Amino acid sequence: MTLNENEITLTLNGESVRAWAPSRMHAADFLRQRLGRTGTHVGCEQGVCGMCTVMVDGQAVKSCLMLAAQLDGAEVRTVESLAEENGDLNALQQAFKRHHGLQCGFCTPGFLMLATSLAARGEPMSREQIRDEISGVLCRCTGYEGIVRAVEEYLQLQQNEGQVVEVEA
Amino acid sequence: MKAADFLYHRAGSVAEAVTLLDEYAGEARLLAGGQSLMPMLNMRLWRLGALIDVNQVPGLDGIEAEGEGDLEETRIGALTRYVSLERSEVVASRLPLLAEMVRHIGDRQVRNRGTLGGSLVQGDPTAEMPLGCLVLGARVRVESGRGSREIAMGEFYDGSYAAALEFDEMVTEIRFPRHPSHFAFSELTRRHGDFCVLSVAVTGECDSDGCWHDLRIGLGGVSDMPVPAEAASARLSGTRLTDDDIREAAALTVEDIDPPSDMRATAEYRTHLVPVHVRRALQQLRARASATELLTRTRENR
Repeated sequence: MTLNENEITLTLNGESVRAWAPSRMHAADFLRQRLGRTGTHVGCEQGVCGMCTVMVDGQAVKSCLMLAAQLDGAEVRTVESLAEENGDLNALQQAFKRHHGLQCGFCTPGFLMLATSLAARGEPMSREQIRDEISGVLCRCTGYEGIVRAVEEYLQLQQNEGQVVEVEA
Repeated sequence: MKAADFLYHRAGSVAEAVTLLDEYAGEARLLAGGQSLMPMLNMRLWRLGALIDVNQVPGLDGIEAEGEGDLEETRIGALTRYVSLERSEVVASRLPLLAEMVRHIGDRQVRNRGTLGGSLVQGDPTAEMPLGCLVLGARVRVESGRGSREIAMGEFYDGSYAAALEFDEMVTEIRFPRHPSHFAFSELTRRHGDFCVLSVAVTGECDSDGCWHDLRIGLGGVSDMPVPAEAASARLSGTRLTDDDIREAAALTVEDIDPPSDMRATAEYRTHLVPVHVRRALQQLRARASATELLTRTRENR
């Protein structure tokens, strides 16, 4: 193995995968071009737009600012992991649809993965906090209002479900 | 754009990382959080022979409280990410200025990856962490194959984006002395989470008779590196921070700055803004101190 080509073994959406990538390839290109997961979008490639946001080891990151080689040993979640097995949209995706949280849809994978990581924190959030937390993904269509509403509803739903589970336990 | 080609190394220890740095003789850089370095490589503002990834080096992150009272110190590993600073109870209680400033950095994803050591070495003149570390009197621990040394934050920069490090040196930890009793922070950005137009951090001690001393005023975004406003700090020593004291001291701060003109603001506008924001930060410092004083007295009366 030369240092310019790296073998990468990772868990992608619960599945173990192995592939090779040149050193200079960033993680977003790797997911799209080497692993065929084109749900993750590539925008500015300089860490500004947030289109390429995915979850790495449970945290939302911009995958254009990570090297493919850095995913070795990591657990990665992309937007392809969200829908139910039968193809139905999950609760977050449904909320985006219901609240018109998208128009062209280019930013949507970024928002969905960022919102998924927020929900995983299991903390209640005010609208103001949500706006602050999602400021790292840009949307040029919606004006954000529908996105904030969808995320707010989803976080509340997750909170309520969490409480139900606690009561049952 | 895509980064130009480079070699990738994953270092397993500090010793391995500094050996590689030495071998590449200035052609390699360490990759920590990558939130500044990766955009620079992707935009081809920089071409490197190699990247040495230190994200897997054990023991480089972590926040530890050491010592008590005047000997109190807080140690933060260079690879500690902003998100860990945000959520750390040790940082909240022992370095509250840093805890407040870290929330102004970038956005959620940037704070999930970016590191304290990375920000200091990057040396962006508008960045929050170099300013916070300067005002808090932090010292930076640096390792190389030749040994280790500590650099005071006041001597850590040679210029903008230029940390005073040799090519074979690596930052491993940042040590903070006991935090001042009172602090305030003021920053102006054109957009939420953007690089700042300017920033001001102030700290100080207030006696029971209301006299202030040991004031430190730091200014970001208005010179090649964060700078202390020494004349202003001296002017305020022993005063009660009256409105007149604050106004006169704020006017002195323009002596310490050499602001750039860029897409965010002209030098003239920054020169106008510095005294305004220093005044606001000092007023906030005074207000917070009297709120603390009131709270203490209320508790004593109970």
